Amino acid sequence: MSGFASASLIHSSVGPVPAATAASASASTSVSAAPLQTVGGVVDDIVRIAGVRFLGVLAILLFGILLAYVAGTLVHRLLVSVGVPEAIEGTAFERTARDFETSTVEILSWLTRYFVLGITVFAALSFVGINYADRFWGLVIAILPQLFIAILVLITGVVVGDKVELLVAERFRAVKLPQVNLLPALAKYTVFFLATLVALSQVGVATLALIVLLGAYLLGLIVFSAVAFRDLLRSGAAGTYLFFTQPYSIGDEIVVGDVRGVVQEFDMFVTHVEAEETEFVVPNARVLNKGVGRVRR
Amino acid sequence: MVALSELLGDLVADVDGLFLFTPSHSHYEQFAETDVPTVVIAPENTVEAETFVELPLQFQNVKDRIRFGVEGAMEQSIVEAGDTIACNVGVFGGDPDSLVRVRVEENMRSGIYDLFANSRADPGVIRDVFGVAIELGKKGQKGEPVGALFIVGDAGKVMNKSRPLSYNPFEKSHVYVGDPIVNVMLKEFSRLDGAFVISDSGKIVSAYRYLEPSAEGVDIPKGLGARHMAGGAITRDTNATAIVLSESDGLVRAFKGGKMILEIDPEAY
Repeated sequence: MSGFASASLIHSSVGPVPAATAASASASTSVSAAPLQTVGGVVDDIVRIAGVRFLGVLAILLFGILLAYVAGTLVHRLLVSVGVPEAIEGTAFERTARDFETSTVEILSWLTRYFVLGITVFAALSFVGINYADRFWGLVIAILPQLFIAILVLITGVVVGDKVELLVAERFRAVKLPQVNLLPALAKYTVFFLATLVALSQVGVATLALIVLLGAYLLGLIVFSAVAFRDLLRSGAAGTYLFFTQPYSIGDEIVVGDVRGVVQEFDMFVTHVEAEETEFVVPNARVLNKGVGRVRR
Repeated sequence: MVALSELLGDLVADVDGLFLFTPSHSHYEQFAETDVPTVVIAPENTVEAETFVELPLQFQNVKDRIRFGVEGAMEQSIVEAGDTIACNVGVFGGDPDSLVRVRVEENMRSGIYDLFANSRADPGVIRDVFGVAIELGKKGQKGEPVGALFIVGDAGKVMNKSRPLSYNPFEKSHVYVGDPIVNVMLKEFSRLDGAFVISDSGKIVSAYRYLEPSAEGVDIPKGLGARHMAGGAITRDTNATAIVLSESDGLVRAFKGGKMILEIDPEAY
């Protein structure tokens, strides 16, 4: 209602129109006051013809476009300055984006712009007084930020998943075993799954079944690795202790169980003990379990 | 009038193999399909050649480079004594620019390949220690020429055949040769006397070790000092490899089994 009030205020200051007319200001009455135009009359004309509301909408739209542009550029600069383009170099998503002659950073900055623009449009609509309390628009406004975040999460998930796949594959490149290809794919789809889950729950889709699935998957993973890597984990823990305290060092003659010899090497998981003819590789868990004797000389 | 290309024709007549030293991809493709077997000798198998000999150091001395390649090929049973091969090798700069005809003889086994490939320590560790020694020889310690003695591999036995000269700065530390910071540390500690002991996997076990090998039957060139004698002798008593930087002439020498295997000038690298 403020638009009406301010319009009447300007009106009354320009021409000697009775207060009663000003209070019920409308386009027809202001046109009737036209003969009394002065220097600032052009502005008044526009105000009279279009109404103050229109100017307000124009201002909001202009401001929104500017804000959207600035926000997009800021996002672009921020992502570039923290080194995102280098970090995601070579991921599938980035490569697809490149095929369309754009980039992930570009897409994200444009997404930000559209989001701000969308908000601007709604702000403008509400300013004009279009009934945004309408159920449909209310729903759209409520879901828009959620949708934006969901898309953001999805893109991040896809990019991070690709990157994880690349890193894991790099790690296992020295292992010439075909089955090892399974691991990078597994890591990638785990990240995809998590991202999808977060995105879906963001827009309010029921995800309970997926969460149960995730729980089962994680539980399986933990049980599986606990069983498979039991000895490695035990040796690693023992190795950490041995690393810190170093009860024996390279060159010492030690006895572990029925193995006796000179320590040649030790790392996180094993100790190399060389006897006369054979070099034993003793797991560190065994060293801690059996105890170690150092031969004095 | 004899055409110039006949000169090349003579060089490659009846060769049993072609050795390409550090070829580019297109260069390799060009010759991969020829009727003689092709062997690639390079620091890395970037061209995915079937027969490949890894070159741990870019030997500046072409003779050493060819000898290493031939020895590696002999070790892998790619060529045998009596074969004649053509070596395409770069004498100036990186790209192959010359052709050398070599007759493979049994006495070409100088042990350079053996030094890297069949030592107790990992080939990468020996290469890294060479790198440190060469750098140290080039720059010295604060501009002054410096000597250094590295005993690589079989650290347990070496430790038992030596005694500490002072407190061991590497005690309870877990540093490996090849880490950038370690090169600086080794440089600083090389100012003090004694040997560095390095394990098979490249872990620096100790500095300031006084080696106590039995020196009998050690075959090292006359004129080398106590550092070389100690380094050479310990390789006879143990399975270690000694890499020695001479303070007086600035050369880097490698000993194995009590014998000098390799001598290189750091200035050339």
